[in-house]
Amino acid sequence: MIRIAAIAVLLFIAPFRMLATDAGQLYYALRTKVLQVKDYTADVRLKIDIDYMKIPDLSGKLYYKAPDKMKMVRKDGISILPKKNINLTLSSLIPAGNVTVIDVGTATLKGRKLRILKVIPEEDNTGIVLSKIWVDEAAMLAYRTETTTKDEGTVTLDLEYGKYVKHSLPDKIAITMDVKEYKLPKGVTMDYSEIPKTEDLKEKMKDNKNKKGVIEIAYLNYVVNKGISDAVFKEMK
Amino acid sequence: MIRLLQLELYKIFRRPRTYISFGVVTATAIIFQLAMGSGGKEFFEFGMQDISEQFNVQGNIINGYLVAYLILQSLLIQIPLLVALVAGDTLAGEANIGTLRLVLTRPITRTQLVLIKFAASTIYTILLITWLAVIALFLSLAIFGEGDMINLKSDAFVMILKDDVIWRYICAFGFAILAMTTIAALSMFLSAFADNGIGPIIATMGIVVVLTILSSLELPMFNAINPYLFTAHMVGWKGFFDADVPYAAIRHSAFILLLYTGGFLGGTLYYFNRKDINS
Repeated sequence: MIRIAAIAVLLFIAPFRMLATDAGQLYYALRTKVLQVKDYTADVRLKIDIDYMKIPDLSGKLYYKAPDKMKMVRKDGISILPKKNINLTLSSLIPAGNVTVIDVGTATLKGRKLRILKVIPEEDNTGIVLSKIWVDEAAMLAYRTETTTKDEGTVTLDLEYGKYVKHSLPDKIAITMDVKEYKLPKGVTMDYSEIPKTEDLKEKMKDNKNKKGVIEIAYLNYVVNKGISDAVFKEMK
Repeated sequence: MIRLLQLELYKIFRRPRTYISFGVVTATAIIFQLAMGSGGKEFFEFGMQDISEQFNVQGNIINGYLVAYLILQSLLIQIPLLVALVAGDTLAGEANIGTLRLVLTRPITRTQLVLIKFAASTIYTILLITWLAVIALFLSLAIFGEGDMINLKSDAFVMILKDDVIWRYICAFGFAILAMTTIAALSMFLSAFADNGIGPIIATMGIVVVLTILSSLELPMFNAINPYLFTAHMVGWKGFFDADVPYAAIRHSAFILLLYTGGFLGGTLYYFNRKDINS
């Protein structure tokens, strides 16, 4: 009777133990695969959808070098990229070092069944507090990350894969981030506009605070792990 | 009529004060270009603080298009003075030196005289704005090069691709000519009442300064009158540097400016035709 009870308990507990172990293994396997990309250059098309930024779609060349160097270059043009922690690579949004991984089940995203992992970094050097990752276990690909940072709010990265799936490099990403308020005194800028009512102005100022912005990048091609000089990342004039 | 117009233009361009305007525009633009060349990046970073906190903006930011825009913005108050220097002197200047009666003894009507003087002032305005375009835009492009243009508005960060900028400048300079023609008409209107050129020039500047302050204050008590002030519409050239050009608002502003120009010119004709000319 006792043996039967012990076997029942083991049968009950074992899946949870396996699940917990699997979650950690799955995360580390995913991270190892992602970190295999040491550098790349890619022709990209960037679309910035932030309420106060009126910018046309930008084409240019994107340079990336692990762990955190990124630069977009446009011939005679101006390039705009999110700063520091919120750069546009998956590797910067999944925590490095020792982590605690919690399996929070599965979800269907764009018709694909994905495993959701919550990852809490044990070291305090990346600025990441918590990362939630939607992983395709079979393909070992992350399709979405939701990363909470210390200083830059929550960043959601949606990825679509195509030709460069073997490197875990996406063909398209959409990064959703918190954007801070932007305001300059009208006496300085001397704007030309149809004169709004005072109520409209108050509403506009309220709307301008704490908004979400979306940045989309379409990667047209990649050159992976061919080596990039650090000089490329030095700031231009 | 053409002969009379040539004569008016000759009178304008033989006076040294006419060239003061061209000198002021040149000096202001060159000082600005020197300043932007030495510390332009730091100056612009100050305005971009909110953006720089979250984004890396890299490339040739301080380029000819941006410098030209900043020069135009800084000359917003000065250019009306330079236009008034000539237009305010057209009728009052003649009265001052005692040649107005003499001119009117010739076989032309007073209406013709006013229209010719207005046409000559408009040609001077066009030449001044064209010179501004050469010095502010083309010289800046020669010094700082081409690039995408950033326009910092009070509530928006606008970026215009370099291939999309030149036509905006052509339209902006065209609009500036329209706005400055309104100033020329105002100066001439005031000139009709005076017997020396200083009064209309100072009065024009006084009106422009006071109305510009009223236009820039975002106080509810002024919001009701702002749409009717020509100074609120004089900055319509900036509309061409929006991401989505507000054509309807620009058309409306152009209409208001034309209305004022017509009003000032009509007022000048009405008063001058009834004026007792004693000098």
